[in-house]
Amino acid sequence: MSPVATTTARQTPARPPAGPAAHQRRGRPARPKTDGIAGYVFLSPWLLGLLAITAVPMLMSLYLSFTNYDVLSDWESTEWVGLDNYRTMFTEDPSFWHAVRVTVTFALVATPLKLAAALGVALLLNRSFRGAGIFRGLFYLPSLLGGSVALAIVWVNMFNRDGAFNSFLAWFGIEGKAWVNDPDFALGTLILLAVWQFGAPMVIFLAGLKQVPNELYEAASVDGAGAVRKFFAVTLPILSPVIFFNLVLETINGFQGFTSAFVLSNGTGGPVDSTLMYTLHLYIKGWNEYQMGYASAMAWVFLLSIGLVTAVIFRTGKFWVHYSDGED
Amino acid sequence: MTAPMSFADSHHRPTRRRLLSGLVAGMLALPLALGACGGDDEPAADGKVELSFFWWGGEARAELTEKALDLYTAKHPNVTFKKTWQANQGYFDKLATLTAGDDAPDIFQIDDNYLAEYATRNVTLDLASYQQSGKLDTTKFPKGLIEYGTVDGKLAGLSFGENTQGLVYNKTKLEAAKVPLPTTGQSWEEHIAWAKDAAVKTKVAGTQDPSADYKAFWVWLRQQGKELYNGNQLGFTKEDVQKWFELWKGARDGKATPTADVIHEGNQTDVTKQLVVTGKALTSWVWANQMPELQKNTKDQLGVIAYPGDATKQWPRSSMYFSVYRGTEHKDTAVDVLNFLANDPEVGKILGTDRGLPSNLDIRSQVAASTENPSMKQTIEVVGELAKNFGPAPTVPPKGHSTVRSELIKAAEEAQYGRATPAAAAEQFFAASQAAISR
Repeated sequence: MSPVATTTARQTPARPPAGPAAHQRRGRPARPKTDGIAGYVFLSPWLLGLLAITAVPMLMSLYLSFTNYDVLSDWESTEWVGLDNYRTMFTEDPSFWHAVRVTVTFALVATPLKLAAALGVALLLNRSFRGAGIFRGLFYLPSLLGGSVALAIVWVNMFNRDGAFNSFLAWFGIEGKAWVNDPDFALGTLILLAVWQFGAPMVIFLAGLKQVPNELYEAASVDGAGAVRKFFAVTLPILSPVIFFNLVLETINGFQGFTSAFVLSNGTGGPVDSTLMYTLHLYIKGWNEYQMGYASAMAWVFLLSIGLVTAVIFRTGKFWVHYSDGED
Repeated sequence: MTAPMSFADSHHRPTRRRLLSGLVAGMLALPLALGACGGDDEPAADGKVELSFFWWGGEARAELTEKALDLYTAKHPNVTFKKTWQANQGYFDKLATLTAGDDAPDIFQIDDNYLAEYATRNVTLDLASYQQSGKLDTTKFPKGLIEYGTVDGKLAGLSFGENTQGLVYNKTKLEAAKVPLPTTGQSWEEHIAWAKDAAVKTKVAGTQDPSADYKAFWVWLRQQGKELYNGNQLGFTKEDVQKWFELWKGARDGKATPTADVIHEGNQTDVTKQLVVTGKALTSWVWANQMPELQKNTKDQLGVIAYPGDATKQWPRSSMYFSVYRGTEHKDTAVDVLNFLANDPEVGKILGTDRGLPSNLDIRSQVAASTENPSMKQTIEVVGELAKNFGPAPTVPPKGHSTVRSELIKAAEEAQYGRATPAAAAEQFFAASQAAISR
């Protein structure tokens, strides 16, 4: 009963009184209606950008996905093919399903590992010690380089037969292989690269950890809880909205992986299609084979799938995300 | 409108399509309209012409090309060039985008991977009539080079370099281990036996496994009386592919070739990754004109011969072409520029063998006589020797060729990594290439 009462009590005074009286009380003249237009004028750079660079091309690609558009031919020879592209995708293109498998594997493995690494390091860096700031910076560094091509090239060389990783293994008498050239391991090296770039979620976790009230830990200590218990009973629940946020973001990122696979395989998805991510397959269809209509259809299926996955994550959030301003 | 499926109905299609394609075309035309502000669409009253000229390559090629084009401007002051160049990576993405926007360069460089893609979609100007009227002089060109630039009876591109398959070997390592050097005319089986022996004596894999390499497969097919393509059809059977894969499985099992991961490295087209350069194999399967470039990347002495088997089945392949955009405003000028670049002795001196051996045979011998580079001399000599006996050239690979190439790599690697038997890999490749060609 009481939480409800407090909420209403808190909200009532905050709600601004309606009507012209409100303006008078703040001592400002009533604003003319043209305010709305001014708002749109200020918005216009962004709005134009959204329309020209995002919305219209997106609609165009939706249209193209129902055609056999091939980039090079003129418009007269581009034909409406109905759902053919979608039908081909699901029934006739074995590489499509292969690419789906590769991408799902990548996202399912890389995302949790990356989040675990980010949370683990964030917990370590959350303590105050000399040079904590420097360490935070160092751990964030790989993420600054982002999906850069240079980084992927370095990675390929590191995990090649005569790369740094094998030199490291050699200290222990283990003879490594050309990891990036082996269809069983190539995707693994890409996952490792993604996990290594855990800086962005780590920083967000750090910010979240700072928000956990100290009293809760003190109370837990008084109740006799150890470090592990405190982590599961206090840290995780309080942090759950942040985990949720990172999970959504990183899942989407995971599905969209492209650069590293492109660089590692020289744009082919090799060796033996082991790194043929969905986006890479789409790129090959559109730009190497000039099946832009088909590639557009793939893009839309991709968009809808990511939307669906995100929606599912949101649904499950009800069961494990706790908002501290909620009823408990 | 009725149900959505009626979109496909021919009665409804035109209006709906016109509306939508109008919208789409409008979007595509936007950059065009902006570009038109530059004012190069119409020839100015004073007869000034600006041609856009687009190629891929490195710094060195850019310098040579710019010099050659400047020479044309010096002789024809009313013609200037908008020169654009970039690395090969991404070149064709950009060319395709420009073409989609009806804004393709007036003259652009292209290769046999893409020539048919562009020609069959009517992007390139048919140069045949200019050739007949003599405005484009190809009388000094080897006949095969013109055939290899012809798509569906139209001359789609003017060859700017002759080329043929070349097997490059590491002379230094072979001589040090007292292994006889490979020679043109050995059979494939003899070559593999030689590679086994060389591998034992030098402790380096004898030969790169070329089963993923379409140009090696193609030569081998022609020696069996087959072709890679017959027009827009595949010129071989599933059984041919299987035989090819089995030939190399035998070589791998006999340790004549490196392990699968190393083969994969060498399957990249990058010159610096070729195993003969990285020292991971004694031979690499390349185009003969890449030899001087390979030599730059290693201290060991290299040599070049033809691929195994009957070398007369090799053909003069065009290393690259220049094509004229069909939508250009200045067709005659553009063709004249090509004519100049291909046949002017002064330009020949400037361009050298940067794009391959000059197509004009007079200019080629002039370049051969004046070059100081020994590997260049050897290349010209070897190709010249082989060219004497070339049979008829095949047609330019059809649309879908680049997919066939990547499918061959995929299938061959499945076999190399032992994930598929030669038979299964052959089946997979055959089905995939058939789909790619008939698209």
